[in-house]
Amino acid sequence: MDPLVTAQRWLSERFMAVYDFFTLPRNVTELIQRNMELEDEVANLQSQIIQLKEQLREADILYSLLDFARSRPADEYIAAAVIGKDPSPFLQYVIIDHGSDDGVRYGMPVVTQRGLVGRIDAVTASAARVQLISDAGSTVNVTLQNQRADAVIKGSITGDIALEMIAQNVPLNEGDILLTSGLGGNYPGDILVGQVTDITKTENELFQSADVQPVVDFDSLRAVLVIKNFQITNISPLIPAGAP
Amino acid sequence: MTAYLLPIPVMLILSVLQSTAVSRINLLNGSADLILLAVAAWGVRERGYDAFIWALVGGLFIAVITAMPPYLPILSYAFVALLSRLLFGRIWQSPIVMLILTVFLGTLFQDVLSLLYLQISGIDVAWVTAMRNFFLTGLLLNLFLCIPMYAVMSDLRKTVKPEENYE
Repeated sequence: MDPLVTAQRWLSERFMAVYDFFTLPRNVTELIQRNMELEDEVANLQSQIIQLKEQLREADILYSLLDFARSRPADEYIAAAVIGKDPSPFLQYVIIDHGSDDGVRYGMPVVTQRGLVGRIDAVTASAARVQLISDAGSTVNVTLQNQRADAVIKGSITGDIALEMIAQNVPLNEGDILLTSGLGGNYPGDILVGQVTDITKTENELFQSADVQPVVDFDSLRAVLVIKNFQITNISPLIPAGAP
Repeated sequence: MTAYLLPIPVMLILSVLQSTAVSRINLLNGSADLILLAVAAWGVRERGYDAFIWALVGGLFIAVITAMPPYLPILSYAFVALLSRLLFGRIWQSPIVMLILTVFLGTLFQDVLSLLYLQISGIDVAWVTAMRNFFLTGLLLNLFLCIPMYAVMSDLRKTVKPEENYE
């Protein structure tokens, strides 16, 4: 039987070699086509992964905003997405996708889960412009969390925020937390604003000053909450005429 | 007629792009200005007098978005249109050199005008820092984008003004 098996094996190997020779080109074409199909599928799946990651990021942001909203049950919020930035590089304003049709009104404070963002500066039916606290025209009354001393933060054209009007006798330290004080009636109190970073204290000056690191990263702002039920207090009639 | 209506959709798209994407791409504090580039690129060509229409339309769209007073963007872009017409044909008949000079002077004018307005409004302006962080970097980005914008605007021109001779 051995010679027969050997002969059959020899014949089978030669036959398969010839068979492969004739059928291989067709298989290569099929393989190329199959490879293209699989590559297309991989590309589709990769784009789906990117979309899902993006949705996950958005969901994370929304969950964080929801947590923040739950931590302040007295306030009512309108969630909005940031859809643009002021074209002028000298101004720190962003555009959100909710307007007067959704209940957004001029002057409403805007926050994220991290802290204070700014206030509504202009409203259309379906969009609104938010003045960030880093804008040169923005002034926010703040209080030092540990000292309970009042001060003011001011933005600048470069987007840096400075802490001003803080008395010389207040012990100011780097890392001190700043909260809104609620004074002036433009913002609700006790919203996190930022941290003191670089202190400037000169003996012959009336006040100390410092740089402020905001808790909100304005460059990567994607979604915000507009505080709907905050009533702005107009204190201008109480300011004496001729006061600076 | 199409040539006069074309600025409306083009400037609408450019102003949306400017607000959504380009304004967020900063080098230090400066950013590119697509509207300025479009006006300059349209104006530096022969018979580019309608650059003033582009300036007006672009200025109006930006005025809707920005917190700056409405006349500032309109004035800035009108100056760019005027500049492009003043420089036309004076520099070796080369549109690209004229474009670069127009973008340089236009960006400078726009930034100085904005800073003057802010200073008059009572905002502290550190001029040296502003020129370094806003003007130089903004100019760099504008110059980087001016050639692609010139190519796009030239193609648009060919579409709406086929009777013009293009070298």
